[in-house]
Amino acid sequence: MNNGDLATRHRLLATRRAFLIAGAGGLAALFVLPAASAIPRVANPWPVLAAVQEHLFPAEPGAPGAREIRALAYLQGVLSDPAGDREEQDFILKGVDWLEGLCRQRHRASFVDLDPLRREGVLREVAGTEKGENWLATLLLYLCEALLCDPVYGGNPDGVGWAWLRHQPGYPRPTPDKRHGALK
Amino acid sequence: MSEFDVCVIGSGAGGGAVAWRLAMAGKRVLVLEKGPWFREADFFKDELACCRRGAYTPDLREQQHVIEEADDEEANDTGWRGTPTRESGWDFWNGNVVGGSSNFMSGFFHRMKPVDFRLRSEFGPIHGANVVDWPIAYDDLEPYYAEVERVVGISGRVVAHPFLEPRSTPDFPYPPTLEHPVSAWIDAACARLGYRALPLPRAILSQPRGTRRACEYSGYCGSYGCASGAKGSARAALLDEAVATGRCEVRPRSQVFRLVSDARGQVVAAEYFDRDDRRRRARARAFVVACQAIESARLLLSSPGPRHPRGLGNRYGQVGRNLIFSAGGVSHGRLEFDALDPERAAQARVVGPFLNRTLHDWYVIDDPELGRVKGGVLDFLMGHPNVISRALAERRDDDGQLVWGRAFKRRLENAIRGGRRIDCEAFADWLPTDDCFVRLDGEVKDKWGRPVARVRVGAHPHDLKVGRYLAERGARVLEALGARDVVIGVSDSPPQNLVAGGCRFGRDPRRSVLDPDCRVHGADNLFVADGGFMPTGGSVPPTWTIYANALRVGDRIAAQL
Repeated sequence: MNNGDLATRHRLLATRRAFLIAGAGGLAALFVLPAASAIPRVANPWPVLAAVQEHLFPAEPGAPGAREIRALAYLQGVLSDPAGDREEQDFILKGVDWLEGLCRQRHRASFVDLDPLRREGVLREVAGTEKGENWLATLLLYLCEALLCDPVYGGNPDGVGWAWLRHQPGYPRPTPDKRHGALK
Repeated sequence: MSEFDVCVIGSGAGGGAVAWRLAMAGKRVLVLEKGPWFREADFFKDELACCRRGAYTPDLREQQHVIEEADDEEANDTGWRGTPTRESGWDFWNGNVVGGSSNFMSGFFHRMKPVDFRLRSEFGPIHGANVVDWPIAYDDLEPYYAEVERVVGISGRVVAHPFLEPRSTPDFPYPPTLEHPVSAWIDAACARLGYRALPLPRAILSQPRGTRRACEYSGYCGSYGCASGAKGSARAALLDEAVATGRCEVRPRSQVFRLVSDARGQVVAAEYFDRDDRRRRARARAFVVACQAIESARLLLSSPGPRHPRGLGNRYGQVGRNLIFSAGGVSHGRLEFDALDPERAAQARVVGPFLNRTLHDWYVIDDPELGRVKGGVLDFLMGHPNVISRALAERRDDDGQLVWGRAFKRRLENAIRGGRRIDCEAFADWLPTDDCFVRLDGEVKDKWGRPVARVRVGAHPHDLKVGRYLAERGARVLEALGARDVVIGVSDSPPQNLVAGGCRFGRDPRRSVLDPDCRVHGADNLFVADGGFMPTGGSVPPTWTIYANALRVGDRIAAQL
């Protein structure tokens, strides 16, 4: 291990967790809405999350987007991981409710039905709050993992993310029976 | 009569080396390790497992620390704010598996030098620091340093220089590992600056040894378990051989929570939770604590007995005091592929071989401003290859604002496709002070209901001055070799993987925990064999010294049994 890498890592982690803890204590203030109790639960969060991911990480010629790196399936795996961080899992899903509440307040429509300009406007508004920014940073985190993790974890199919960024993975690479979660 | 002569708690560089020495000497050894036992076949270059999900460390929801940092705004007026690592995410576990954190080191191996054993005599006192001379000299450890070169396997090449430590052998037993083309850039830059670039010894086999293969140059070393066995972890280099004698048993997933001592103060048993959380007892004639500095102090403090009412060896309140880390700083710059001519760009892109360069020119600093003070070493390495963490760093722009969409993708292309980082790490002494210590937390408990370690991590301001002095010279080298965007980072935040002290050895029981043989004062059959014994840490990563001292302690235990 080397100092620099670890120091950077722990600071990133520390920042993320500090926001999560803050978020768990005062959910009502998240984003820009008046009260959490007034926000209905979104019955099916997946189309919204997929649309947010595609906006954060759009497909381009010669560069994969959220769909190409299987970002939604990867995120679903994170959210259903029994060993995962329950607070974070809840935070990601609650963020969908809050985002949808904001979209209906501003545009009387779901995020899914907004045009790219309006999507950008709403997400910029979300990023303007501390917790909203943390929600987007968390989604970007799992986009990065889906882009660059070993394909054995479900993202980065056939190394599409590695190929785009010309990254050379290390060997030996993890096998399905010995990937994290399977190794005892 | 006990089944075992010696029970060793912890299987890292300290515990592994003691167990190996005693098993080879014909003793019956039991090693209790809290973590699982992974082999070469279980290690992959899996960034998610090693570095994002913490596959080799406990879940912080179950086992954690409380870290106290200086805080001027602290309302309770103590000036210190304690935060559980579960909340901060600042993980103080460094690899809880058989072989300990030595599985995940980069293996930058330096001996301490003769001057490190007598810092107080050489440089005098420093206000606010508890600097003392060691009770042993470099010559006492030299034969063991040489043995580690052979047994653990250190590759390198000796080059004469003013700070070269005395050696009993002319050169390393293994030639240097393969060198990166950029190593020659460092040599040329240092020659222009009048600095002396030296080959950096590595605890990595450049040639096979026994069942261990030579390095396969995957480009992923630090933070990763080694799949070839080339890295000189306590597991690959020592424990596998110890177990093969038939006299050493390793019990993984065995969390020792208390040492039981009798009316004479001798330790009679180690109590532990097994893999099914059942309470067990292990008996032996002698015991060795080697859980890494913080947890070793925690175990002694958690083990009061009839003759040790405040914890084992803690009659004078010394256990946990004078914890030290590695001080220093980091300089890093960027090799921009587009800014280099094609030949050099191709060289900069090479993945696999190591830079392996170190500078010892300022091991002792003699400077008009700083005076004559103990300095340290500079080690060069390519930026860590972990690509997910590199991508995450691009989520925010220079103003700290989140970036997404096409702008984010252009940042990724530039950062990852367009160049790579080159680092220079400075290692200096972390002065021992009254503001850096371990005690038991009054509230936070682990999953077994035992108090966790509460660690205060105050640094001495002198450390920052020395760290900056060294890091600035590293930055000059990086600029001279053509790196761009060179920055210096000097912080008083401790690197949790480079930890020692807390059970310092010495001759006076009122000011130390261990005697010069690393035997606990007042408990003649109890030894500490990790980095806890170190009263000062040297200005190098401590692992080679921990290995060497543990072999020495093993000899003392064998002689006593």
